[in-house]
Amino acid sequence: MTEQQTFGALNRFRLMAIICGVNLLLLIFGYMPAKHIFNIVETHHWMVFIPVAHGYFYIVYILTALQIGVQKKMPLTTIVALIAAGTIPFASFFAERKVVKKYS
Amino acid sequence: MKATIKKFLQALLVLALASSFIGLGMWQLHRAQDMKNHKTVIDQRIYPLSDLAQPTGSIPPESIGKTVSTSGHYIANFKAPNQKDGKGKVADWEVALLQTDTNSAILVVRGLWADRFSNPAIVMSSNVSIIGTLLPHQNDDRAENTPQQLSRLDSSLLTSTTDMQLFDGFILEKNESTRAGATVRPRISAPVLTTGIPGFYWQHISYVAIWWLMAILILWMPFYSRRVGKQ
Repeated sequence: MTEQQTFGALNRFRLMAIICGVNLLLLIFGYMPAKHIFNIVETHHWMVFIPVAHGYFYIVYILTALQIGVQKKMPLTTIVALIAAGTIPFASFFAERKVVKKYS
Repeated sequence: MKATIKKFLQALLVLALASSFIGLGMWQLHRAQDMKNHKTVIDQRIYPLSDLAQPTGSIPPESIGKTVSTSGHYIANFKAPNQKDGKGKVADWEVALLQTDTNSAILVVRGLWADRFSNPAIVMSSNVSIIGTLLPHQNDDRAENTPQQLSRLDSSLLTSTTDMQLFDGFILEKNESTRAGATVRPRISAPVLTTGIPGFYWQHISYVAIWWLMAILILWMPFYSRRVGKQ
């Protein structure tokens, strides 16, 4: 495994962890209240982009977490924790920090 | 022996988890399909009200949004404040209780409250034929409930004031006619009906991909563990 490949995988994971984390925050603290409390999604239809994008960003996030996990020969539990971090608010930011600290 | 049992149980767990994830993916796929089908099927037929709903029970889900016809005479009139139409415009609506036979009645949205005097008043005893969209009762209050005003479009609010058997839900009128002819007044556009399934088509499709990816991951995990263990 060349250093360049590892660097690429790490950067891809970092990028997706940040995108997925921001999107999840938008989903939970923006879209959910807008839909269920303020009932404004019908009039602000662009907001449907948030939940739809979340599904696709998460798929890419899983793939990047798998790639970095396999490359670094992480234990299975760590890989599962990295994948799960994409579904918990703020957790992907912590995961990104931990992975960068340990492997960069 | 112990190791074989352990391996067998692990294999069983992996298969159970993988099939659960495949099942969840299938479920999301069906939800996505249901949303697509709901958008494409538009029933243009006009059904007699009695074919689609009965005053004794709730409206069957398959009858909601269908166009119905019925006749009778109005026995009460109400204001329904702060109602939102299909275009998102909020206004006060005129709602009447239409007696359809000797002992049953249904709520009918006739139009905007502001337009109630734009036509000659229909005498309470006049027979009226209407065509409109059958919609389910509302659950959330939009105003105070008073004898002249309905807080929401829900016949259960009127059960204490009448002996009639009331239909669940209401009709959003498209046409109204009496012996004298059709009543011409602006009608309210029907709200866009949703399937009741939260989310969007492409969102469900992304979840299908996620669940199936998880299933593949679960099936791949034992091989990964063995490889990492060897190294």
